[in-house]
Amino acid sequence: MSRNLLQNFRGARALIVASGEGGIDTLESVLGKLGLVVARADVPEAGRHLDLALVEERADLLFIDGDLDSVLPCDLGAARTPPVPVIGLVGIEAPGRLKALMNQGATAFLRKPVYAGAVYTTLFLGVNQYLLRKEMASELNAQQDRRRRRKAVIKTILLLMEEHHVDDDEAYVMLRRDSMRRRQSLEDYCEDYISGRSKLTASSPEAEPRTAARR
Amino acid sequence: MFSTTGPYSTVAGAMLNGALLAVSEIGEAGPVELVPVVVDPGGDLSRYTALSGQLLAEGVRHVVGCYTSSSRKEVIPCFEKHDGILWYPSHYEGFESADNVVYTGAAPNQHILPLIDYLMSTFGDRAFCVGSNYIWAWENSRILRETVTARGGTVVAERYLPVGETDLRKLVDAVIEARPSFVFSSLIGVSGLAFLSALRHACLARGIDQPGTMPVASCNLSEPDLDELEPEARDGHISSSVYFSALRNPVNDAFVSRHAAAYPSAPLTSADAEASYIAVKLLAGALAEAGTDEILAVKAAVARQRLAAPQGDVWVDAETMHLHLTPRIGRSRGTEFDIIREEPVPIRPDPYLVRSAPTDSWFASAPRLRVAK
Repeated sequence: MSRNLLQNFRGARALIVASGEGGIDTLESVLGKLGLVVARADVPEAGRHLDLALVEERADLLFIDGDLDSVLPCDLGAARTPPVPVIGLVGIEAPGRLKALMNQGATAFLRKPVYAGAVYTTLFLGVNQYLLRKEMASELNAQQDRRRRRKAVIKTILLLMEEHHVDDDEAYVMLRRDSMRRRQSLEDYCEDYISGRSKLTASSPEAEPRTAARR
Repeated sequence: MFSTTGPYSTVAGAMLNGALLAVSEIGEAGPVELVPVVVDPGGDLSRYTALSGQLLAEGVRHVVGCYTSSSRKEVIPCFEKHDGILWYPSHYEGFESADNVVYTGAAPNQHILPLIDYLMSTFGDRAFCVGSNYIWAWENSRILRETVTARGGTVVAERYLPVGETDLRKLVDAVIEARPSFVFSSLIGVSGLAFLSALRHACLARGIDQPGTMPVASCNLSEPDLDELEPEARDGHISSSVYFSALRNPVNDAFVSRHAAAYPSAPLTSADAEASYIAVKLLAGALAEAGTDEILAVKAAVARQRLAAPQGDVWVDAETMHLHLTPRIGRSRGTEFDIIREEPVPIRPDPYLVRSAPTDSWFASAPRLRVAK
């Protein structure tokens, strides 16, 4: 989570999907002052959604009016990460409307009628929260992937213990050292080892100088 | 509405003088008649809102005033509620563009960015930031830190003191110990003056050529400040400003001499005095063109105003309601500044630094080009 927070949004393309009232003109004018390129999208017909692929192609940021029926499909997954940041425009402040905006991936809200002094804060929050959320989601995916592959790690440790007559701690040290040497993740290395694509480069941990990784 | 008493009364007094000078000139030559109502919040934040509310309730629709950003931010909701316009005549840190404010002082791309260019190309890349503990100093230090770091320099320290603090021994010791290439000061009022004196004396006592090797640079050091400084601490400070009293052109010559005639015991004209003078002149021009003091009409008219000001031509940027102004760098000598750098033309205001700072392209990180073969 070392990402710098963004503060200059010049050149970003904002797409506004709104019913046309509630200070949307103010929103457009402030976004213009902040250097964004603003466009209005047609409101999708009842029961239809914006095409996500098209959104990604046309916009870097989406403002969605919570008073409209779902503009984006609400099946964005547990992390609720749409292809671009979504900022919810809140007219009717009812839990149902707010929930619908959250489900469409909104990471910030802007009350209607839009107050000029609130736009930058919302933009700042919405974009940075989206990027953090995306980063966390990809981190989580990576962790889950490693969890799925821990069977290969256990299996490799057992193989090494048998082949090299070492205990589990030493086998793990050997594994770590060799995977690092090959610039592979432990899991990738183990999978290669089991499938015979990779062999240990050092016969025993004692052959190498002790490192901080040794326990 | 200027705090002509309180911790930053020197500069606020100069601003009031600049505004009243313009009022009297307009009284003599038109195009409208202005009746000034003068109030003094005394540097007390809560009094700003109370006085603004009172003025607007009494039918005043246009208020020229505020010096600190904290006071401006405090009163803006009041102007929005009562449909008034605040004519804000001071350089400030940017990141604002309120509908009910016309900004006649410099935006950050017109003061701090040119200053950083000058300092890094002349003195080196190690900065020490000091400031009064409020938004002006925080944001200026942030802009400086980001710009200096992006260019490979470092900020060796940042120190903030309460507004009005004058015990600066520890701060001065820390600066001398760090030996930066320059000190960037956003200390205001009495703190700024006390710092310049204390640092100068400490360096003289240690045989350090402070102006030559560790100058203090600021975006808020003006002629009235130098006037208040003790003589041995006056020379060699760097100031970034769109106006210096020493500018030689017919409009400024007239401004300086009328100012001297109107306020014989006051210090020289300064950037904040000039911005206040410009604010009143633009207000009068917009009122004349609009034919009413109603704010929508005045706002539409002000966007078309252009003025031969003491600093040179200035005009309004309709999008942000800030002015095109001419950045300059001065070095203090006595109670004046020698102008050592100057932009050839007025620079468009960029209050959010969207054009002047690197863009954070989160969207550009995903490649949009496809490999064709």
